[in-house]
Amino acid sequence: MTAISRRLTGARGSRQGMWMLPLLIALAIALWLSLETAQFLNGENLLNLVPQAMPLVITAVGQMFVILLGGLDLSVGSMISFTTAVLALGGPAWVLIPAVFVLAALVGFTNGFIITRFNVHPIIATLSTQYILLGITRVLRPVSGGTVPDIVISAVAGSFLGVPMPVFWGIFTLLVAWKLLYGSRFGLHLFAIGGGVSSGVEDAAHNFGIADRRNIVLAYVICACFAALAGIFLAGRIVSGDPNVGLLFELDAITAVAIGGTQLSGGIGSLHGTVIGALVMALLANGMNLTNVSPFIQTTIKGAILLLVVALQSRKKMGL
Amino acid sequence: MKTLVEMSDIRKAFAGTAALKGVSIALQSGSVHALMGENGAGKSTLMKILAGVHQPDSGAILRDGRQVVFHKPKDALESGISTVFQELSLLPNLTIAENMFLGREPTTAFGWVDHRRMRREAGNALAELGLTLDPGTLVSKLSIAERQFVEIAHGIMTDASVFILDEPTAALNAADVEVLNHHIRRLKDEGKAVVYISHRMDEIFAICDTVTVLKDGELVGTRPLAEMTPAALIAMMVGRELADLFPQRGDAPGPAMLSVEDFRITERSKPFSLELSRGEIVALAGLEGQGQQRFLRSLVGQYHPFAGRVTIKGKSLPLPVPPGGGVRRLQAMGVGFVPEDRKEDGLFLGLSVAHNIAAALHSKRSELALAAGYQRRIADTMSSLAVKASGPGAAVGTLSGGNQQKVLLGRYLAADIDILLVEEPTRGVDIGAKSEIYRLLRDFTRKGGAVLVLSRETVELIGLCDRICVVHNDTIVKEMPAADATEHNILDAALSANGEANGAGGERR
Amino acid sequence: MAAALANPVMRRVLRVPPAYYVFAALLVVLWIARPNMLNLNIMGIFVRQIVPLGILVLGQLLVMRVRSIDLSGGGVILLINYTISSGVFPGASMAFFIALALGIGLAVGFFNGLMVGVRRVSAVIVTLAVGIVLVGVVQYLSSGKPPGDVPGMFADIYNTKLGPAPTPVIFWVAVSAALSLFLSRTVFGRYVMSVGENVQAAHFSGVPVARTVVLAHTLAGLFAGIAALVQTASIAVGSVRVGLDLPIMAVAATILGGVVFGRGEGGVWGPFFGVLSFALLFVVMTTFGVDEPGKLIAQGLIILLAAIFYGIRGRSS
Repeated sequence: MTAISRRLTGARGSRQGMWMLPLLIALAIALWLSLETAQFLNGENLLNLVPQAMPLVITAVGQMFVILLGGLDLSVGSMISFTTAVLALGGPAWVLIPAVFVLAALVGFTNGFIITRFNVHPIIATLSTQYILLGITRVLRPVSGGTVPDIVISAVAGSFLGVPMPVFWGIFTLLVAWKLLYGSRFGLHLFAIGGGVSSGVEDAAHNFGIADRRNIVLAYVICACFAALAGIFLAGRIVSGDPNVGLLFELDAITAVAIGGTQLSGGIGSLHGTVIGALVMALLANGMNLTNVSPFIQTTIKGAILLLVVALQSRKKMGL
Repeated sequence: MKTLVEMSDIRKAFAGTAALKGVSIALQSGSVHALMGENGAGKSTLMKILAGVHQPDSGAILRDGRQVVFHKPKDALESGISTVFQELSLLPNLTIAENMFLGREPTTAFGWVDHRRMRREAGNALAELGLTLDPGTLVSKLSIAERQFVEIAHGIMTDASVFILDEPTAALNAADVEVLNHHIRRLKDEGKAVVYISHRMDEIFAICDTVTVLKDGELVGTRPLAEMTPAALIAMMVGRELADLFPQRGDAPGPAMLSVEDFRITERSKPFSLELSRGEIVALAGLEGQGQQRFLRSLVGQYHPFAGRVTIKGKSLPLPVPPGGGVRRLQAMGVGFVPEDRKEDGLFLGLSVAHNIAAALHSKRSELALAAGYQRRIADTMSSLAVKASGPGAAVGTLSGGNQQKVLLGRYLAADIDILLVEEPTRGVDIGAKSEIYRLLRDFTRKGGAVLVLSRETVELIGLCDRICVVHNDTIVKEMPAADATEHNILDAALSANGEANGAGGERR
Repeated sequence: MAAALANPVMRRVLRVPPAYYVFAALLVVLWIARPNMLNLNIMGIFVRQIVPLGILVLGQLLVMRVRSIDLSGGGVILLINYTISSGVFPGASMAFFIALALGIGLAVGFFNGLMVGVRRVSAVIVTLAVGIVLVGVVQYLSSGKPPGDVPGMFADIYNTKLGPAPTPVIFWVAVSAALSLFLSRTVFGRYVMSVGENVQAAHFSGVPVARTVVLAHTLAGLFAGIAALVQTASIAVGSVRVGLDLPIMAVAATILGGVVFGRGEGGVWGPFFGVLSFALLFVVMTTFGVDEPGKLIAQGLIILLAAIFYGIRGRSS
C-alpha cells in the first residue's frame, strides 16, 4: 500500500477512520454535477443544499455517538416523525419544544436502560422502540397535517444578519457534538468502550471503570435528542406534522456515518467524517434530482450504497 | 527496608479446582522479588489477586500494615500497585497519554479534557524511562515492547510503589531486556517493590534479590537469591514425587502416521521436523507460548505456516490449510483436534451429552443426509469413558470439569479418528479424572491411534508420553524419550536454548 | 426476584416459550369477550389471513437459530407480487410463476447468506438494505402506482377448503411440519443446533459454519418466496405496499415462540404458536376497536418484553 492510499483509507494508526476518501468523493460528485448540469452551481440550488442536508447531518451526528461505542439506534427515524407530530399538536412553543427534548431523552434512556440492564441486543431494543414510537406517532397524527408553532418555522426559513438560519443549526449541532465528543471525558470514554469491544479487550475498559452503564445510556440519550433536533428542523420545513417523514431515516443516517469512515464495530470514527458522509448523501440526492433520476430508483441506489459500504467493512465475528 | 505489601494465607479456587492453597508472600521496599514455579503453579493467579482482577476466597492483603480489599483493578491501582500483565490491556485506538490517564483524565474549566496536561505528564513518565515516544501516538502503532514500557510508565506516573511484571521479557529482544533491567534497578533504588515473574534463570539471578517458589498452588519457600544456585532453584521448582497417576508407556511404535518436514511456523523461525507413529504419544513441551499451540493450530488452518510438508498416513496435506474448512479436512483424514478451552471452543454447554459426542460424526456427512441417532455409539462411548451423567440427554454444562473433558475427547474417539492433536488434556480437572484421561489416551494408542499433545504441565507430559519434543522460539530445540526426561532437563533444554534464540528471536506477535 | 428465579418450578415455567402463554391468555380473553367468535369458520378465516406471516416465520426462525436475522422478506414479497400482478409475463402458467417466485427468493436468500456468513457483514444492515433495494426497484418499475390484477387461478386455489379448514392453513401446517421434520432428522438440523449454541465449538467439531449460515439464509429466501405466493393469492391484486411490515412481525413472532438468537428451544412449533398468537391478537384488537397504530405498538412491546424476558432468564441460569 502506498502512503497516499494508506492516508486515504486510514487503514491503521488513526482513530478517525477513512474520511479523506469520502471527502474526495464528495468533491468529485460536486465537480461532476457542476459540469453535467447547469443548475447545480446556480445560487438557489446551492442555498437549498444546506437545508436539504441538515436533517441528515444532525441525525447522523447523533447516530455516530452510539455507533462509536459499538451500538446502533434504529429508532431515530420514528423519533423524527414523532417529533413533528408532537410539534403539530398545537400549543405554545415554549411548552412543545422542551417537551420534545424531554420525550426524546426518555426514549434514549429507555433504549440504553434496556440494553444495559437486561442485556438486550441494541438492534432488538431499538427496533422495538422504533415500532412503539411509530405507533404512538400514528395515534397522534394518522395522516400529515396540523401546524407547528411559528417560531419553529421562522427558525428554519428565516435568516439572521443575512445568513440563512439552517447555517446556524449546523453550527449549533457541530459545536454541541464537538464539545461532547472531543471536549469531555465522556467522549473519550466512548472511543475507549468501542475500541475495547471491537478489538476484543473489553476488560481493559472495565478495569479502568469506564464501561459503566451511565456512558452507554447517555450515548443513546444524545442520539435520540439529536434526532429530535432534526425532527424540529424538518417540522419547520414542512410546516406540519407528518407520521411518515422519518421513514427509513435511520438507514440514511447509518449509511452517512459508515461512508464517513466510522467503523460499525465501534471505536474508530470522527465527527468531520460523519458530516462529510452526510454531505455525500445529500449531494447524491441533489444530483439525482437535478439529473431527473426517478425518485423511486433513488431508494434502490441508497440501499445499494449502504450494502457496498458495510460490505467493505470486514468484521472478525459473524453476527447481527 | 519496610514491608509494603503482605499477602497471607491466600486461597482461591476456580470452578472447584484449587489454584492457590494458602499462599503467603511479603514484598519489601527496595527489593526485586522473583516469583517462580512451573506453568500453572499459581503465580499469575496470585498476582491477579494482588492486582484486583480476582478476589481471594480467603486470606488477607495488608498494604503498609493495614488490611485492604480490592474489588476491582482500579482499587489496586489507586492503592499504588501497578501491574504489567502478559496479556496487554491497552486500548489500541487511544493514544499513549489517553491510555495512561483512562478513567481519571484531568479536566479544565467547563469539563474539557486537559489533553495538554495529559501529554505533558505522560511525556514526563516516558522520559523517566528514557523513552522518546510521542505521548500522542496511538497504541496500535506501537510494538509489543513499546506497549510494555508504556504500561510501566503508567505505573511510574500513578506514583505506584509496587510493580508487578508478569513475564515482561517474553516478547522482548536482548537489547530491550537490557533497557528493562535498567529501569527495574532504578525502581528498586527509589525504594519501590518489584515482583518479577519470569522463566529465564539468567534474568532472575541478574536483577532479583529474593525468590518465592510456588508449586501446584502451594508455597514451596522464599529464599534470598544470594544463597541460591540455578540448579538449587530448579530443584525447588520441580521437587515433587510423581504420583502413580500414569498408565504404562506404549510398546515399540508402529509405522509413521503423521510426519512433518522442514516446517517453519513463521518466516523467522528455524525449520523442524517431527514424526508421530502408530501407538505413540508425543509431547510438545517447553515454556508457555513458544509456538507449540501455533504449530498445532497451523495444522487446522488457524495460522498460515511459512513453509513445510505434512504427510498424514501417506497422504500429503496441502499447506496452508484453509481456515474455514481445515478442521473438516483433517477430520476426513482421521485427525481430530481437541482445543484447550473446552467451554469457549470445545463443547456446546447448553446441549446434550449425546449432541456433543455425535457432533464430529455428523460433520462427516452431507447436510441433506438423514441424521443417524448413533444411540449405540453414544452409549458405548459414554460407558467406555465412564462419563458420569444422568443420561445422554443431560446438558453438558451441568457435568463436572472432568466429565466435560471426557465428553470432549469422546466426540473424537467416537468418530473413528486415529490421530489426535490435543491441547491441555487435563486443564481444570481434578486428580482422579486426570488419571482416567491419561488411561483413555493410552488405550487409544494401544488400539492403533497416535496422539500429539501439548500441555503447560511438564510432569503430565513426562508421565503420559513416549517422546518429548521441547519447543522454543517456534521451533523444536530438543527431542528426548520421555522415560529419560525430567522436568529439570526439559527446563534446561528450553532455557539453554534461550541464549542463542534471544538474539535471533526478536519480537514476536 | 433472584430468589423467585432460583425456584425450580419458576425455572420450568420460564423454559416454556411465551407464545403458548400468550396464545392461551388471548383465547381466554376472546372466550369471555366474544364467545361466538370461537368457531371453526371464523377462526379459519382469521388464521388464513396470517398464513403468509406464518410461512415467512419459518425462514426467520431458521436464520435466528444460527444467530442471524432476515429483514429482506418484505422486499422479496413486494417484488414477487409485482412480477405476478403487473402483467410483464402475460399468459404465463401457474408453474412458471411458482418457479419464478421460488427462484427470486432463493437468489436473494443466497446473496444474504454470502454477505452474512462469508463476508460477515452485519445481518440487520445487509438484509434491511437488500429489502430497500428491492422495494425501490418495484417502486421504480411501477412508478409508485399499483400494478394490475393477479391471475384468477391464484384466488381460485386460495379460496378452496380441505374439509373444514382453508387450503392455505393446511398448507402452512404441512410446510411447518416438513421443516420441523427436516430440522430434527437431517444433519443440517444438527449443524444449525451446533452453530446456534457455540460458533467456535461448531467450527472445531467440524461443522461447516459459513455453509450452514448460507444455507439457512437461502432457505429463508425460499420461504419468503412461498410466503409471497400465498400473500399475492390472498389479496388478488398487485400493490406497492404489500408485505412491508411482515419481516418485523416475523421477528416478533419468532422471539415470542422461544427462538432467540442462537437458542432454538421453541423449535418450529413455538414460533408457529407465536404466529397464531398474532392472529388472535389482531382479532382481539379488532373486536376492541384498536386500529393499526395500536397494532404497531403491540408488536414493538411484544418484541421488547420477550427480549427482556430472555435477558432476565439468561441471568438466572
